[in-house]
Amino acid sequence: MYKLVCIFAAMKTLSALIKKELLLEWRQKHALAGVVLYVLATVFVCYLGFQRIESAKIWGTLLWVTGVFTAFNAMQRSFSSETAGTQLYLYTLADPRHIILSKAIYNAVFVALLNLISVFFFLLFFGTDDLGTVDWMQFLLGLLLGSTGLGLALTFVAGIAFKSEGGVGLVAILGFPIIMPLLITIVRHSTAALEGASSTTNGLNLMVLLVLNVVSFVLSYVLFPYLWRE
Amino acid sequence: MKNWIKILCAALLLYAAVFSLWHPMAPGGLAVSATELHPGRNEFEFSGYGTHFKEGESSLKVYVSVDSSAVYCADILQVVNDSRVIVSVFLPDTISSKRFGFAANNDVDGTIIVDSPVGHEGFVFEPGTVNPDCRYSVLQEEFSRFGFPYQPIIIESIRNLMWHVPMWFTMFVIMTIGFVFSIRTLGKADGKIEHDYDLRASSAAAVGLVFCVLGLITGSLWARFTWGDWWTNDPQLNGAMVVFLVYVAYFILRSSTPDEEKRARLSAIFNIFAFVLMVVLLMVMPRFTEGLHPGKSGNPAFSKYDLDSSLRSVFYPACAGFILLGYWIYRLHYRIQKLEQQHENQG
Repeated sequence: MYKLVCIFAAMKTLSALIKKELLLEWRQKHALAGVVLYVLATVFVCYLGFQRIESAKIWGTLLWVTGVFTAFNAMQRSFSSETAGTQLYLYTLADPRHIILSKAIYNAVFVALLNLISVFFFLLFFGTDDLGTVDWMQFLLGLLLGSTGLGLALTFVAGIAFKSEGGVGLVAILGFPIIMPLLITIVRHSTAALEGASSTTNGLNLMVLLVLNVVSFVLSYVLFPYLWRE
Repeated sequence: MKNWIKILCAALLLYAAVFSLWHPMAPGGLAVSATELHPGRNEFEFSGYGTHFKEGESSLKVYVSVDSSAVYCADILQVVNDSRVIVSVFLPDTISSKRFGFAANNDVDGTIIVDSPVGHEGFVFEPGTVNPDCRYSVLQEEFSRFGFPYQPIIIESIRNLMWHVPMWFTMFVIMTIGFVFSIRTLGKADGKIEHDYDLRASSAAAVGLVFCVLGLITGSLWARFTWGDWWTNDPQLNGAMVVFLVYVAYFILRSSTPDEEKRARLSAIFNIFAFVLMVVLLMVMPRFTEGLHPGKSGNPAFSKYDLDSSLRSVFYPACAGFILLGYWIYRLHYRIQKLEQQHENQG
């Protein structure tokens, strides 16, 4: 019974924290619009350059190049949008695990949404008529797992970069090598799904994505309290 | 014996260096000059590597096997030198297979095999009419002299095994030391940071990074020799490159965090992350994906086939020697850093 109450209380804290993240985002609508504009502009530049994409490889790679830079863009504000006062206040109120959990969940969903938007623009500009049969279920599942992986890993890296006061460039320097395995796998997965590969051959990539998600989630969850402490 | 580790390390490395380069290669079959075989008389040149055809001319026999079942003896026309012999073989017109194996046998080298498919379109297979005078079943490769096993394509570059692989083993050991000290840096119950542990962790990461670079260089050389390119798109190679980048990022993080307390904490956190990533990248992910590098998609890294006792007798000492060397450098690096820090604190 006591445990149940604890879980309930944790859920309440979490939902409050996520609500706070949403509110912060909403109050900075211009920044949100900026990220979406960034996606649109990138895809449009790709369109101007390529016009048609006949190869699934280029389609998938371009999509994820856009996705990665969008994620970096979105993530940079994850910690720095809060003042030191807010953070101290949060520190006294909530368990750091709940804070990273809320930020990670929020960012994972946020990156997934942004990537969905970028897929929408890709479909709008390029379409998939030149690619042949596409396994959309596979593709979307991979997109989801890849986005959440990016969100989880980059949230943690953004936390480290923020604490080190090394400037915004540090997120990219620390983040790129960290997300490289995820990126390699997700590009491979998306390309295969766009080529209409069977789910059995592509399932392995999905498994690797899942493992990477779990690894970055567990590591952030365990290590964040040490990061938060000052 | 205060310095026994250093003496042992030097002795092992000396042994490994001398033997990995000096040890002879076992003889092996290099190639045959024929690009196709046809029914009737076929004349071709059989070339071996490190063989002694001249020396064992009296006992030399050359065989052509079809699908490893029917074996035909070849008549030896001329032994050109120790590694080349010109032979002629008569094949009946009942052969349909396109896979031919070539073997030579003499008292000096034992049996050496060239396994190369030679394609020919005109054969019709009729079983049961194998020439009965010359039947010979090629048994295992046997070496009459003790040497590194001959492997096609790899040939002499198998000596690189004693350099390339220990680099990665050493990096793993040293990085594990760094990982343990990073955990201990954070692991104080009262939340205090132990700077000594942080220093050890960063020293270990630095030395591990050096071995990572050496592993990349030796691996790149080997790839050039066996696969024809300095770099190939292989999960193990890409993983190694990412590991290198991650640890470079670790040092960038350290240098961009001026506050000592913060630096210790952040770099410890990042190092734990990096180590787990390294294990995933180098030990887990390559096993799920296809590639050229040994140790994946079903290829065992060191099987009985790859690693025979002559290789082992040099490989294990080389690993032990390099690991000890890595540990030794790590200790030196750590102590220098510590002295520098003390010097700074005093001045």
